[in-house]
Order: sequence, then C-alpha cells, then structure tokens
Amino acid sequence: MKGNDFAGKSRMKRNLFIASFIVPTLALYAVFAVYPMFKGIYLSLFDWSGGSESYNFIGLGNFKEMLHDDVLPKAIRNDYILVAGKVIGFMILSLFFAVALTRLNVKGSGFYRTVFFFPNVLSVVVVGVLWRYVYNPNVGFLNSFISLFTKQPFDYAWLGGKWSIFALLPPSIWAGIGFSVILLVAGIMSVPESLYESAHLDGATQWQQFWKVTLPLVWEQVQTSVIWIVVTTLNGSFVIVTIMTFEGGADNATQVMGSYLYFNAFKYGKFSYGSAIGVLILVLSLITTVALQRLMKRDAIELS
Amino acid sequence: MARVSRTWMTWSMVLFVIFALAGCGGGADKPAAGGTPAKQGDASKPADAKPADSKPADTKPADAKPAEEPKLSGDFEIQYFVGGYGDTWWKQVISEFQKLHPDLKIKESAGPKINDQMKPRWIQGNPPDFVYIDGAGSNTRQMVIDDQLMDITDWLKGAKNVDGKPILDLLIAKPEEYQAGKYHAVPLVFGSWGTFYDKALFAKNGWDAPKDWDSFLAVGDKIKAAGGMSVYIHTGVYPYYINGALLDPATVAFNNYDGSIIKRINALEKGVFKSEPVMKALGEIVQMRDKGFIDKASPALNHTDSQSQWLQHKAAFIPTGIWVEGEMAKDIPQGFEFGFVPSIGQPSGGKFVANPYTSTVAVAKKAKNPAAAKAFLQYIFTEKQAKQWAEMSKAPSNIKADLAGTKATALTIEAAKYYSSPNTVVAPEVTIPEDLVKVRNDATLALTKGEITPEQWADRMETAADKARAKVNK
Repeated sequence: MKGNDFAGKSRMKRNLFIASFIVPTLALYAVFAVYPMFKGIYLSLFDWSGGSESYNFIGLGNFKEMLHDDVLPKAIRNDYILVAGKVIGFMILSLFFAVALTRLNVKGSGFYRTVFFFPNVLSVVVVGVLWRYVYNPNVGFLNSFISLFTKQPFDYAWLGGKWSIFALLPPSIWAGIGFSVILLVAGIMSVPESLYESAHLDGATQWQQFWKVTLPLVWEQVQTSVIWIVVTTLNGSFVIVTIMTFEGGADNATQVMGSYLYFNAFKYGKFSYGSAIGVLILVLSLITTVALQRLMKRDAIELS
Repeated sequence: MARVSRTWMTWSMVLFVIFALAGCGGGADKPAAGGTPAKQGDASKPADAKPADSKPADTKPADAKPAEEPKLSGDFEIQYFVGGYGDTWWKQVISEFQKLHPDLKIKESAGPKINDQMKPRWIQGNPPDFVYIDGAGSNTRQMVIDDQLMDITDWLKGAKNVDGKPILDLLIAKPEEYQAGKYHAVPLVFGSWGTFYDKALFAKNGWDAPKDWDSFLAVGDKIKAAGGMSVYIHTGVYPYYINGALLDPATVAFNNYDGSIIKRINALEKGVFKSEPVMKALGEIVQMRDKGFIDKASPALNHTDSQSQWLQHKAAFIPTGIWVEGEMAKDIPQGFEFGFVPSIGQPSGGKFVANPYTSTVAVAKKAKNPAAAKAFLQYIFTEKQAKQWAEMSKAPSNIKADLAGTKATALTIEAAKYYSSPNTVVAPEVTIPEDLVKVRNDATLALTKGEITPEQWADRMETAADKARAKVNK
C-alpha cells in the first residue's frame, strides 16, 4: 500500500514536471497560432468591412464570390510561379554552392559561407528597395548596363510588364539562399569522408560522387529546404510583392494571394473576404506541402 | 595568434549587438513619448484663460442650435493623421481652441499611423469625438458605409463659423453626399489634380503651356521631335494619378462642363462607364499612347520615382497634384519653376476643369462630446484658419480666401487663382468604393500600355459596378 502510494506520488510529480514544460508552450501556441487561425476561419463566414461594429453572417458567401473573382486565379498562378521558380532556383544554386564550399576545396570557404548568409540577415524591405533601384527603367543599374550594348537607351520597365512576376524571382532567391546553403553544407559535412575516399578509389568523378553519394545522403536536408521554401513563399511572398510592386504590379501582374488578402482586408473594406482568402491560402499550403512530401519520399539511407 | 583575433572578433561582435540593441531601445522610446502628445499637460493648465470670455460670446449667435451651451467642458478627443501636411497647423489651432475653452480637456490622438492605431476603438464603439480623415487606412466613404460618422446635414445647413459666416458658403468643394441628401463629413483640405511642367524649361525651348487637348498634342509633337526627353511620364504604380489629372477632368469637359457625370459615376449608375463622355476621354489616352508620348518607364514607377524623374527632365509633363511642390521640396533642382494647368483634355478653346482631391473632417456618430466637436468645426472653418493652413501646410484649404500676400507657396497661390477664375469649372470628386478604384486603376494602366481597348475598359468597370450594386441591394 505504502509503496503504491509512493509510486503514485512520484508519477504525479513526474507529470507535473512534464506539464511545466508543455503547458506554457501550448498556451502560447494556442493564443498566437491556433486562436487567430480559427478566428480567421470564423470571420470568413461574415460580411464584415473591418471597420463597422456590426457583423453580418453570410455563410459561404465569400467563397462563392471567389469563384467569380478575376484577380484570384492570377494571384494563385503567380504564387505557384514563385513557388516553382524559387524551388528550382534555390535548389540548383544552393546545392552548387554547398558542394563547392565543402567538396571542391575552394579557398576561403568559411568566408563565403558567411557572405552567402548576409542577405538573409537583411530585412526583406531593404532587399526590395535595393532591387527596385536595380530594376528602375530610366536610372536603374540593369537597364544602364544593357544600354552599354544597345544603340538606344534601353528603357524596359521590368516591374511594370505583364510577366514581371519573374522579375521578383532573383531578389527572392538572392535574399533567401543563405539559409538553404547552410542547411546543405551541414548535411554534406556529416557525410563520412571515407565514403568519398572509396568512391574516389573506385574511379568515380566529382559529378558521379555528387549524384551517387552526396545527393542521396543529404536528401533529408533537400526535402526540408523545399518544404521551407514552399511554406514561406505561399505565406510570405506578399512582403516582396508589396515592397517592389506596391499594389500588385501592372494590372495585377504580380499580385499574389497574400497581397490580395492584405488589400481586401485593409484597403477595400472587405475584411472577411480577406479572411476567406486566408483560408484558401491555408488549404492550398496544406495540399501543396502534403503532396510534395509524398512526391519527395525516398527510403532514408541509414549510415551504419 | 589566430585565437587572439578570434576572441577579439567575438567581443567586438558582442559589443556591436549591445550598441545595436541600445540604439533600438532608444528608438523605441521616442515614438512612445511622441505618440502620447504632451497636450495633456497643457489641458490641465487653465491659468491663462483671459481671452476666453469675449470669444464664446461671439460664438453664441453663430450657433445653429440654441440648446448648445456657450461654455464647453468635459473631455474632447481629436484624431488627426500626420502626413505630408505636417501637424504644425493642428497644434496651433488646437492650442487656440483650448485657450478659448479652458474647461475643455482636449486630447490629441495623432501620428502617421493613427488610422490603424485607432481602428480597434472605432470597431468597439468608443471613437474619438472629432476626426480628420486622411492618409493610409482611412476612407470617408467606407466610414459612412460602416455607420461611424454623425449625420450633420441639418446642423451644417444652418451652421455659421465663429466669424458669423455660414460655413457652407465658404467651401470651395461642397461636402460629398455619400448617402443621397446627407452630409457626414466636411472637406477641409483642397488639393487639385493637374498636369505639371517646368516653366523655365518651356520658356527656354519656346514651348507653350497647353490650353486644351489640341495645343497639348501640338507641343507634345515638338517635344518629341526635339528628343532627349519623353513627353508624358505618369505614376503607373498608382494609376489614380492619371485618372484624376487627365481622365476625370476630360470626362467632365466632354459632358459640356457639367459635373453631374461624376455624380452619376459615384452613384455607379448602370452604363455610365460606357457613356459618351467617358469613352471620349479614354480616347484621348489612346491617342496619346499611339503617338508614343507616354514614357515607357511609367508602369513601374511610384509617385516619388515618377516625380523625381520628371524633376530631372526625363519627361516634360506629369499628372499629379499641387502638393507635389511640398512633397518633393528636397529634390527640386536649381532653376526649376513649377507650372501647372488643371486639365489638358478639354476640346479646343474650352474651359479648364479642376478636379479636387479633398480630405475631410467629421464628427463621430458615437462622439461623447458632440457639442465640442461642432464648436471646433465652427472654429476651424474661417478665412483666418484658411490662411494659416496654406502657410503652415503648404497647400490650399477648402475655404475660399484670398491668399495673396501670405507666405503660401507659389503653386498654392497659382492654384487658388485658377479656382476663382470664371474660366475654370470645379468638378465634383470621384469617390467610388476602394475596390472599384482598384479595378479602374488596373484598367487604365492596361489601356496606357495598349493591352486593352476602351471598350474592354468600360466592360471591366461595368462588371465591377454590377457586383458592387448587387452587394448594396442585398
């Protein structure tokens, strides 16, 4: 009896101990992540301007309105152009840099590792303003450079065209690549040197070593980077869009779901319609991430 | 050796972070101190109340409502946005008003972000008493739709200012009727859209300022032939600049200088966007586009970009507002002389059409001290305040006043001359809902780039207007 009592007490103590770690985090998560999410879903069922005292329940009305919205398909298309462009651009460049910094005996690789990470530390606002100057049609760096080779001054408005969403790719890649480089560098460094040595002895070229040794063993990191890019792009590309092209570019050429949500909620007096777009972003990000995880699933290679 | 330098580097980084944080901390303190205006101190200091006795006596006969008491007391909160016009005038007029009513506890809620900061209080039904509606995140029409502003129609019709003059007679732009026959807000600031050029440059090259559409095309051809700069640069990121400065005045001109077309646009009347005046005005944009007058850089430029490139003589004309002189004050090159015409779209020999851009003041529907708010309104709509506003904010106010001899900027005085000229028609302001403003912006920009036709422009607007109407009728 006594022993049992003791055991019960110690179990309670243990549970208390665990709870003392879980509860505060859970509470913070609930207040700052779960509650806003459900509040957003709840608000999407109303017709609320964002400034009035009265709310008007309209059920799925906002979602029905979405079906007739001409801008939304453009925004979704642009979001996925950014996702695809960033995933491809990020992975090619960061794999190249990571391999170069670890496997190719580049001098001063530590220095470069820091340098590649610099843009990550810069605020996206700074990045956006900087690149706006690069793209400026009359006085910008890019057009001045091209004008060196053309007879007439080159004055193409990179950020004012029909496809200027593609002009947003270089700044976003430049601004974020450091993170995935660091991630992949860490992955490659944890691959045992002996594997490369034996591959080398077997006559494998650098290229073959990359495909047969490096890539399979850092697949986990590649996967993480891709998911990270997808999630941050779908949720956060609105910053670079609004900094560089303000209200979504020429005739919504660069509008993304995030910026369209923002303008609806805070500018056009359609807060609940903005919330409905938020729900759409949530659903699309979920589907995309799950689909990508399925697609990229490979048997993990265990190092014994 | 390597170790020493590494330690050194670590410490210097730590120091850097500390300084950075200290810097941030200092910065964070400042707005907090500035955000809560030091006015509270002034309010609790009713010592210097001597001139108060005579003035309220003046106010009394001016009051429309006999129920109002001559002495105002209690709390009185004023919300005002601080942007390009600054807050010098507000501070001045509020301190004058305070002296007049020493028992009033005036609270100022002001700043460049005030619209966002006060939003929760409007939603919760605890708004300030008096509000100046301007800047990002504010929209008078939306506030009327949201039922936030007091219906002051009857009061305003009889209201006289502290000098005993009827307020409505003093206004250049009349209050907009967001709901038919009702006034909720009074325009305080009167800006005007227009087409701007450099007088010095035009004099040097022997170019004439345009008087109508034909003379604009003629001088445009000359500028284009001369080379070296494009004819017309505009703010493509915010196409409401070209809408306000070119399209709207031209629309009024093609409607026989009858501003009622703008009222029909504001009412979103079916078919109004396909009407002849609108189509003719759009035709002018097409004409200009096909002549290659529009600077190709325009679609990517915001207002400061386009204005600074215009100041650098990358283009001869720019559509913007008369606030441009104050806005770009730091970037004006030596010898640059601002010149402007209110409109260029009118047919040969026609009148100018001035398209206003106003910011309004209003009393909150749930104001706790409406008497004070109305008295303040009567205090600020005077000729004296009009002059002070023009001098301190470098822009004209909406009160008819002779600005000659004041320290107002040259553009402000020139603009005031246009408004009082019989050869200028002052059009009503276009105040369509914000989502329609966006559709119109997109359509106009697409038109200037040649991606759509005027008919497609009209179709887009009619579809959007249909949607907006369906929503209101629901």
